[in-house]
Amino acid sequence: MAAVLVHIDLDGDLPHASSLQALAAGRAVASSWGATLYAAVVVHDASERSPSGAPPPGAPVQVPGDARTIEAIRAALARGGADKIVVALTEAPIEPLWCALGAAWQAVLDRLRPRLVVFGADAPSADELGPRTAARIGARLFLRARTLDHDEVELRDRDGSYVRANDSGAAVALIGAAPRLDAHGDDDIDVMVLTPPGGADPGIELAGTAPAELVHIIGTIIALGDEAASDPEIARATRELASALGAHVVGSASAASAGVVGPGAVVERGAPLAPELCVAIGAPAIDVAGSASLVRIGSAGGKGVDGALSGPIAASLVELTRVLEAR
Amino acid sequence: MSAPAPSSGAVAVWLGSAPPVRTIRWLDGALKTASRFGVATAVAAGEQTWLDLAADRAARLGLASAGVATDLQLDYLGWAQVMAAVARQLAATTILVDEASRPERFAEVAAIAELTDAAQLTHVVALAPEGATIHAGRVAGATLQTLRVRGPAVIGVRIAGPPIDDYPTPTPSAAMRRFDLAALGLDPMVLGHRALPPRAGQSPRRTVDRIADHLAVHIAPRQSSESPERVHSAKSATSAKGA
Repeated sequence: MAAVLVHIDLDGDLPHASSLQALAAGRAVASSWGATLYAAVVVHDASERSPSGAPPPGAPVQVPGDARTIEAIRAALARGGADKIVVALTEAPIEPLWCALGAAWQAVLDRLRPRLVVFGADAPSADELGPRTAARIGARLFLRARTLDHDEVELRDRDGSYVRANDSGAAVALIGAAPRLDAHGDDDIDVMVLTPPGGADPGIELAGTAPAELVHIIGTIIALGDEAASDPEIARATRELASALGAHVVGSASAASAGVVGPGAVVERGAPLAPELCVAIGAPAIDVAGSASLVRIGSAGGKGVDGALSGPIAASLVELTRVLEAR
Repeated sequence: MSAPAPSSGAVAVWLGSAPPVRTIRWLDGALKTASRFGVATAVAAGEQTWLDLAADRAARLGLASAGVATDLQLDYLGWAQVMAAVARQLAATTILVDEASRPERFAEVAAIAELTDAAQLTHVVALAPEGATIHAGRVAGATLQTLRVRGPAVIGVRIAGPPIDDYPTPTPSAAMRRFDLAALGLDPMVLGHRALPPRAGQSPRRTVDRIADHLAVHIAPRQSSESPERVHSAKSATSAKGA
């Protein structure tokens, strides 16, 4: 039976929300295709191991960590629809980097030889692991894909490329949207533990972490123009759209004085931003040309714009948010 | 920081297979970053007008350039095969990738790293070479990671150059080193297996429904409302079965 594999990032003691979204997409696909759905987690293991990666002779293979936490994760994945859970242990500290997770993740790929591998598009490891996984298994790659339910469930990205049950070859998808599924409840779900040798790639060393500046954020931003920011109706509608998209609202100091842009979200005029998605409201004095996707509200659009609503700004925002929240 | 010095191998910067979508500011930034290594070669593939632009922007920063003229339209792994082959010709062991100018390019970072058996690092917003070590700042969600890179590596950079509204139309560069696929050991017929189907140009979406459809894959995923305690009560113990 074909395998659909979902990579699970953890957010504290629970699966990351975006990973659970990927799991839902994987469940829909696996049920439609008659495949087995595996949810795989890479876990740090500080215990002593032999050079082959195996635990010392006689030692039981266990998932390290607090039993309650492990059980909470197992139950969440079972409820999310996983048929089986794979835990790959690694000596490397867990960081969202291929150099930290790659060796353990490779063991999962080798064991399952999946037909389809999915990641949550907003999960921490997705950008590092997803494309490398695809390259390693020679798969087609789908960024920001979602499930579509026709005669069979398929995954489709924004360019219209799709992966279907009878396609040849493997595919890797970063899932941006998935159906809301009823909770599954198989308490007897299998947990497979892999203990591959090797840890982090010594070629890359993590020296430290700090909060990122907002101008470097790669997710979704809403850039608010000064004039638009001064309209309370637009300000309110902007906050609601930001909430729906999980976006940061940025603007100039002038926009900040109107209250909708937080003190830490003031961006200097002309400062370059390169988010994955930018919704520009009005005429923000920010360079948003580096956005991977750009939508303008209250503007006719321009070069390379993916969408534009030129009508009244507040009404457009309210309607857009309403439609998004209904999905 | 000491004076710029190349790591053990040559340095190349992959500019991709098509010009930037809206601005060359990020292309200039990637080239400027590469110039910090002292000697580096800018590499582009695709149509001739794009190769001319890439060579022109590289020359303005004193960088050499190499181009692969082809009308193939390839996926991430197809272009990575082209860049990996050029990197072998240049003996490049440090490869920067301009991942901000076009959205599809960030996936090529991992693919080039895979094909060249190098370490990879995406989403780098600050980079400084120091002897055989590269100091990099990488964005991971709301966190800035500080990393040290040693040895062969492919690094996706999103570092902007200065603002630029307009630039002169480039002319064909005599200095650009030109490769064809055969000279790189690549068979266009085989490479064609990584071809993308032709797509009509997408006109901007103009209705709320169409824009909402476009934005739907960016809706913030909702964390399960079920508390860990409640989850815990579902079952008491886990038994790992072992591989």
